[in-house]
This record gives sequence, C-alpha cells and structure tokens, in this order.
Amino acid sequence: MLDSAMAALASLADPSLLIMLLIGTVAGLIMGLIPGLGGTGAVAILLPITFGMEPPQALALLIGALAVVHTSDTVSAVLLGAPGSASASVTMLDGYSMAKKGQAARALTLAFLSSMAGGIIGAVGLTLAIPLARPLVLSFASPELFMLTVLGVSLAAVLSRGNIIKGVSAGLLGLILGMVGTSPTTAEERFTFGSLFLGDGLSLVAVALGIFGLAEIASRASQRRGEKQTISLGGGWGQGIREWLTHWTQVIRGALIGIWAGVLPGVGATAGTWMAYGQAVATAKDKRQFGKGDPRGIVGPESANNSVEAGDLIPTLLFGIPGGVPSAMLLGMLLTYGIQPGPSIITEHLDLMYLIVWSFAIASVLGALLCFLSVKQLAKLTKVPFAILAAGLVAIMLLGSFQEGGQLGDLWIMIILGIFGWLLKSTGFPRAPFLIGFVLAIPLERYYFLTDSLYEGFDWMARPGVMVFLAILILPMIWAFIKFIRARRHTNLDDGHRDEQPEDDEAPLKNSNWSLVAAGIFAVAFAAALISSASFSPEARLVPQLVSTGGLIFSGILLFIEIRRRLHDRTPKADETLAEETEGIRTQPAKAGWTLDAKFALKTFLWMTGFLALTAAFGYLIAVTIFIPAFLLIVARARLKVAIIYTGVLYIVLLALPSLLPIDLPQGWLNTLV
Amino acid sequence: MTVLVAYAPASEGREALSEGIKEAHLRKSDLLIVNIGRGHHDLEPQEVSVLEARLGEAGLALTIESSVLSDPGDAVIQIAQDRNVDMIVIGLRHRSMVGKLILGSTVQRILLDATCPVLAVRSDKL
Repeated sequence: MLDSAMAALASLADPSLLIMLLIGTVAGLIMGLIPGLGGTGAVAILLPITFGMEPPQALALLIGALAVVHTSDTVSAVLLGAPGSASASVTMLDGYSMAKKGQAARALTLAFLSSMAGGIIGAVGLTLAIPLARPLVLSFASPELFMLTVLGVSLAAVLSRGNIIKGVSAGLLGLILGMVGTSPTTAEERFTFGSLFLGDGLSLVAVALGIFGLAEIASRASQRRGEKQTISLGGGWGQGIREWLTHWTQVIRGALIGIWAGVLPGVGATAGTWMAYGQAVATAKDKRQFGKGDPRGIVGPESANNSVEAGDLIPTLLFGIPGGVPSAMLLGMLLTYGIQPGPSIITEHLDLMYLIVWSFAIASVLGALLCFLSVKQLAKLTKVPFAILAAGLVAIMLLGSFQEGGQLGDLWIMIILGIFGWLLKSTGFPRAPFLIGFVLAIPLERYYFLTDSLYEGFDWMARPGVMVFLAILILPMIWAFIKFIRARRHTNLDDGHRDEQPEDDEAPLKNSNWSLVAAGIFAVAFAAALISSASFSPEARLVPQLVSTGGLIFSGILLFIEIRRRLHDRTPKADETLAEETEGIRTQPAKAGWTLDAKFALKTFLWMTGFLALTAAFGYLIAVTIFIPAFLLIVARARLKVAIIYTGVLYIVLLALPSLLPIDLPQGWLNTLV
Repeated sequence: MTVLVAYAPASEGREALSEGIKEAHLRKSDLLIVNIGRGHHDLEPQEVSVLEARLGEAGLALTIESSVLSDPGDAVIQIAQDRNVDMIVIGLRHRSMVGKLILGSTVQRILLDATCPVLAVRSDKL
C-alpha cells in the first residue's frame, strides 16, 4: 500500500502530469471566482478537454481544479459581499464584515490558509479511507453493489435540501434519463424515438452543463455586479496567520465535518459549510462577534468546503456511488475509461487512487500559494459584471458539450435541459439527485440483472451486507417522517436546528404556477416513460417500468399538493391554515407569473438558442463572432471597445485551440456545402 | 437592565413572554424579544404595539432583535451576550431522553451555554 502511494508520488514527477495539475489548479482558481460555477461547473467545463488524454493526466487536471475551486471563491465573498459559490456565502458573514473594517487581508489570509489545510486533511482522510474500506469493499458482490447504487440515488434524494418528494422525483427522472440509449442487458434501444444519436445515450457533459451550467447562467445573467464597490485589501496579513495558528482546532474540526458531509451523498459543499459554521458557533463560549467578523467563523467553514470535495471522492471511488455532483461527473469519466470504481479500482488501479490523493494535496497547497501571490489581480477580476462573463461561458459550455459525441443534437438537449434545470432551481427542486440518478442508471440496471441471474428469487436480500444497506436506506426516511409529523403537530419547537440551514431565496418561484408546471412535467415524463417502455422486451422493460411507476406515484403526490395549494390560494380565507398544515411554515401566497427574473432567464435561453441556430447554420466560429458582440452590447450593455476586444481575443483563442488541444469546432450546414 | 424573552407562537413561547413581562415589571428593566419560531413565525405587529403600550405605562422600553445566526439557540445566546442582558426567559415542555438525544434540544443548549441567569417556565404544568 505504501509502495503504491510512493509510486504515485514518483509518477507525479512526470512533467506532463505536473503541467496538467498546474493547468487544472489555475483553471479551478479562475472558475472559483465566477459566481455559480463551483466544483460542478469546473469539472463539467474541463471534462471535455480530457477526452483525448490518458487517465492519469485527465485526473490530475480535474482533481487539480476540484481541489481549489473553494479556495478562490472566497475572494469575491470577502471583497464584494457577493459569494462566488453558494458555499462561500457562509464565509461572507464574517469575512465581509471583517473587510468592511479594513481588514480584508486578514480575512483572506485566514480563508486561504484554512482552505489549504482543509484540502490536505481531506486528502489524508481519503488516504485513510482506502485501507479501512478495502476489506469491506472486497467482500461486495453484485447484490451489495446493486444496493449501493440504489442507496446512492435515494440518499441523495433524501438528504438534499428541500422537499423529499421533490428530491425523489428528481432522482427517479435522472434514472429514466440515464436509461435513454442502448439497454445494458438486451442491447435494444430505449427511449430513443428512432433517433440514431440518442442510441449512445445522452452525453454526461451536456446533461451536467445544461442542468447546472446554463441554468445558473440564466438565473444570474440579470445580475450586474459592477455597481458594487470593491473593498481595498487593507492590512492584517500577519495577524491573519497568527490567528489561524491559534484556531488550529477549528481548522481540523471544520475539515472533519467537511469530510463527513462529503461522504454523505447529496450533502454537498454548501450544507457541509453551514454545518461547520454551526459547529464553530456552538463550541464558542463568547458568541458576540459571529457575523461581525469573528475569525472562527471563517476558519472552520473554509476548511470544510475544501475537504468536502475530498470527502465526496471517498464513496465515489471506493463504492461507486458519487458523494456529490462534481464527483458524479468524475465517476462518469472513469467509467468511460473503463475504470470501474468500487472493488476493481482498489485491486487494479490503486495507483490512480493515490495519484488522486497526491494531486488533491499538492493542488491545495499550490492553490493557496497562487491565491496569495495573485490576490490583487483576483480582486480586479471579481469586478467584472456577470453578464459579460456569461457571453464567453455560453460559448465555452456549448463547445464543451460538443466534444463528447461531436453532434449538434447534444447541444440542443443541453439547452432544453438548461431550461429544465432553471425551472428545477427556481421552484426548489434539488438538482444533485437528478444528476446522480443519471450517472447511476446504467450501473444500477446492470447490477440488478447480475443479482437477479445469480440468485434465486429474493435470496440476495438475506445477505448481511444487503440488509445493512437496507437499514441505511430506511433510517433517513423514518427520520424525515418523524420530523414531518412533529412539524405538523407543532411539537418540534424545541428540536435542534443545527442540521438546518437558514432559508435562502434560491427558489423564488416556489409555490407558484411555475412549480405546478414543474410537477406537471415530471408526471407527464414518467407517464410517457411508462407507456413507451411497454413495447420493450421483458428484460429491458423491468427497471424502467419500476422507476417510472415510482416516479409517477411521487410526482402524482407532488401534483396533488400543488393543485390543492393553488385551489386554496384562490379562496384566501383558507389559505393560512392549509399552508401551515402542509409545511409547518407560513408560505406567502405566491402569485408569481412572469416575474422579471423569469422573463430575463427565458430571454437568455432564447439567446442561447439563437447562438445554437447560428452554429448549426454557419459553423461555430462565425456564430461566435455574431453572438458574442451582440450579447455583450445588448444584454450586458458593455462598451463597444470591450465587445470588439472580447470577441477578437475569443476568436483567436478558438482558432488556435484545435491545434493545441484535441478539440473539434462544430461545423455548420454552410460548411458542408463548401 | 434588560430581560430577554425567547418567543415562539406556541404555549411555551406565550408562557415565557407573560413571565418575562412580569419579570421586567418586577426588575424595572426593559424587555427584549427574540423570535425563535420556525419559518419566521414572529410576534404579530398588533400584539407588539399592545405590549409596547403596556410596558410604556411603567416607563419600560420594548425592543425586538434578530441575529444572523440561523440556530435559534445560538441567536438567543449571542444577543444576550451582546446586549449584556440580566436574564433570559424561556418556555419549555417535557422532552423524552431519546428525543433530546436524537433530535437535540434548543432549550437545553440555551440553558447550558448562557452566560447569564436563565428563567425556565414549564408550559405543560401539572
């Protein structure tokens, strides 16, 4: 074991690996600054670049980015009071207050050092998990692996924020979407509607970039950040280092909380960071300074959000169930290389495991170092309004999702899923279970059939491992049910709140006609899947039918709740009692129709569609030269000079890109004529 | 001189509030209310103005405060320390040991973490 670890470290001396790690780290730092991208966006954008590489190089690049995304996202939270990712909003509480007192440098020092320590402790946790889990993992057979995939999807659904019914519906729909393409058991085509390119299944990058990337752009494009005043860095570097050293226990505690949050599927960086903040407050005797610039409020959460990403990798690599969205994509990447996470990675690809560990640790140190060196430049970057970044991001994301299959159809799917993702985000559906379901759909079906053919009847259910997993599956549901009952009876007043985050305004269209539409889409999709699966052969039919029946039940409940709420909204007298009864929270009677944000988001999607249509007609390069300046001038209201330089630079980069990296630019209909 | 009342729209919270008002009159101190109900269940504005008038007659002030901390227990402690209050008044009812172990208890946390005297009022009396 130590041999493999050292061999992996030695292999990192290979310049090609080191360069990839460095590129990944720099890319991760830049993407951390862009609001809304986070680890998910970083991996999704970099993933297409890795398609032509060997697994070690690809992993070095992706892990390098993933390890440092949460290091740089602090910069805009501290200096602008506008967090670069949802998890950095915790740092904002104390970091921004500190910066307003002229001690931004102190806050940033604390944050960078804690991020570094969190990353290293996370990597240590990952290392320790390998020998601990090894005997367990090696005892797994297909029934356990099947249960693990079920567990991965359902835990993600249950533990994600928000409503469990919404989470389960999203997870099941993700499973259905993952089954599009060729069935793993009978090699027949499912849900392809006779289309050839759907036969390979949907591209992971297109799905991830649509559901998360484009949706995020659409919901943020209306924000013009330029107005906000940036705070100067101020002093306090030395003070920050000294304080960080005195709060080392908080650093370690935060990192451990982060690892735990990462191991749990569906509990991502955001929830882990809030947990760490809650822990920091709870253990502090003097709570006066929290929210006004307490160093403990920065140290713990910052350490946690980096270690979450390492914790995510533990179940992903060892059990094959992704702990979060970025690692779900990493899992998808490993599968395309034919590396099966779980038992086989421990026996056959142990060197890759250790390569990941080392890359994570080295990138964490490198990321913090680069942040210290370039903090002035990073601070300038945070001033760029999001709409200006959005233009380039749309172009890059569309190019990225073209790489996997080289088909324009993927891009159309990406935009459709982008609209769907925006709807999910705005109406309070968790999106993590959706993507995790999408990635796990095929493994789930494969393991089920292996189990079914190796065991008679339900004998496999009696295996001890399976029973333990069943218990793990059921316990959180009982837990959630008890909490629901207590909330309904109003006896939960005294219950602890530590595991809860403050309510956010991430879902502005919750309980409106929009969420009714969303529930309707779910129900229709499951019904359609159920009907069209009737024509499959019995083997290919079983799992889709089970999933869509389950989905139909859950989305039916959802639809029922939504309709009932709408009806009560019309009779305002009964409104209050109903809202209290269903959620235990007084919900505002939402009459959100075409809100300003919704209009803007849909307009942004129209822009993207226009871009794609241009690409289809004239090719990518011409589309870029039309779309970018138009978007910059009309939507972002940038100056003409900015638009010209922006377009010029992007054009040159795109022109040079195919010769530097294995990247194809989409050709248009016009190019085929010439 | 201030008395802090942790209010929630339930029998515990109302009991705490009425006891807190008594205490404020007794000590001739101002009253500070922190809402700890779930999902923004706050004291209604009309109730607040009635209360304000009643306390005003005795020459006492009423303030309502909130904290950035999401955990209500932490919020109460933070405001109590910040405002240097003389006493926290909370309402409580019986909780089973298992319930406290698994679900946690805000009241227990306030009792253990508070740096000033705490007056606990049982709402489910004999």
